[in-house]
Amino acid sequence: MQTRQTIAIIGATGNMGSAISKSLAKGNYRLLLFGKDESKLKKLELTILRLHPDADVAPITCSYTASWEADIIISAIPYPAEKEVADRIKEVANQKIVISIANPLNDTFDGLVTPPGSSAAEELQKLLPHSKVIKAFNTIFAADFPKTVPAATHTGSFIAGNDPEALEIVSELVNTAGFYPIIAGDLSASRILENMQLIKILQLNK
Amino acid sequence: MYELFFRKFNEKVPLTHEEEEMIKTYLTPKKLRRKQYLLQEGDVCKSIAFVEKGALREYSIAENGNEQIIQFAIEGWTISDLYSFLTGEPATYNIDAVEDSELVLLSKSAHEELLRKLPKYETYLRLQVTGAYLALQKRLTSVNTLSPEERYANFTQLYPELVQRFPQHMIASHMGLTPETLSRARRKIKSK
Repeated sequence: MQTRQTIAIIGATGNMGSAISKSLAKGNYRLLLFGKDESKLKKLELTILRLHPDADVAPITCSYTASWEADIIISAIPYPAEKEVADRIKEVANQKIVISIANPLNDTFDGLVTPPGSSAAEELQKLLPHSKVIKAFNTIFAADFPKTVPAATHTGSFIAGNDPEALEIVSELVNTAGFYPIIAGDLSASRILENMQLIKILQLNK
Repeated sequence: MYELFFRKFNEKVPLTHEEEEMIKTYLTPKKLRRKQYLLQEGDVCKSIAFVEKGALREYSIAENGNEQIIQFAIEGWTISDLYSFLTGEPATYNIDAVEDSELVLLSKSAHEELLRKLPKYETYLRLQVTGAYLALQKRLTSVNTLSPEERYANFTQLYPELVQRFPQHMIASHMGLTPETLSRARRKIKSK
C-alpha cells in the first residue's frame, strides 16, 4: 500500500507498546504514541528517531484524538485497563481495526481472569461492537522483537479475527514488525492464543 | 461528529432516528492533517469520504510532473476515486488534505451492506452520483467551450468559497490553465 496508514498505539511506553512502536517505525506508517507519562513518551519518540531517522512518529496526550486520527488502533495496555480506554475511544474507533495484545492474567500470573467461553479479545469486541478487533502480538514477549533491521529472525506470530480484510491488513503489519503472521482462526481462537501464552508464562515462572 | 453528514443526508432523503443510529454503526470517523494523503495513486480506493470540516483536493500527476486537479471538496462535499472504489482497480488519482480535516468515511463493505439494508441509502447515493455527473458535465462544457476569463468568472460565480479556500495555483490547475493564464484572466476581469 502506498497510502500511509496512521496507527495509534495506546500504552506506547509500556514494555510491549514500546517494542511494537519501535518495530513498526520502519514501515510506511505514521505512529501516534499515546501514554500518560509525557517524559517517557518524549524519550520513546527520540529512541525511535535515533533508530529510524525517517520515521513518521508523534507523541500524543489524548487517546481520543489519537484514535480519531488513526486507521488502526493498538491497545497495548493491561487487560484490566481496557474497559476504561474502550469507553473513551468507542465513538472514534467505529469501524476501525483495533488490535488486542492483552493476556488477561490474574494477579498471581498463574491463571486467566476471563470466563472459559471468552477471551480478552472477545471482551474488547463486546466493548467496541462496531470496531474490527484482531488478536495479535499476544504470543510473543517484548524481548522477542527483532533487534536488527531488517529482521534477522522471522518468528511466527499468531493472529485471529473475524474480518478478512482486517486480518490481511494486520498480517502486513505483523510482517513489518518482523514476524511471520499465522492466522489462527476467527476471534474465538483468541481463547487458545491467550491460554498458549499462559502456558509459556507458567513455564518461565517455574 | 456526523452532524453535517446527516443534515445533508436528510436534505436528500429524510431519515428516522432509528435509521440514523443504524447508519452511524457503519461510519468511520477520521481526522486528517494538512498535507496527509487519504489516497495515493496505485492503491485501491477503499472508501468514500464526506467532509465534515476542512478541505481536500483530488488530482493526478502528469508525466511532466504537473498536478492536474479534478476535484475539490469542502464541508458537505464527498470525495473519492469512484472508478477505483466501484471496480476495485488501482486508483489513478491522489487525494490529500489542503487543510486539517474531519471526515466521515464509508468503506466498501459498509457501503454494500447499507445498499442491501436500507433503500433510502440507495436513493441518497443515486442523488449524490447524479449531482456529481451533472457537475462533471458542466465542467467539461466549460473547459471545451469557454475562454479562460469566462471559465474563471463562471467558477467564481458557482463556487465563491473555493476561490477563498484554495490557493490560486490549485484553482488554475482545476480549470486546466497555467497560473500565468489564470492571473491574466483575473486581471482582465478586474479591468472590465
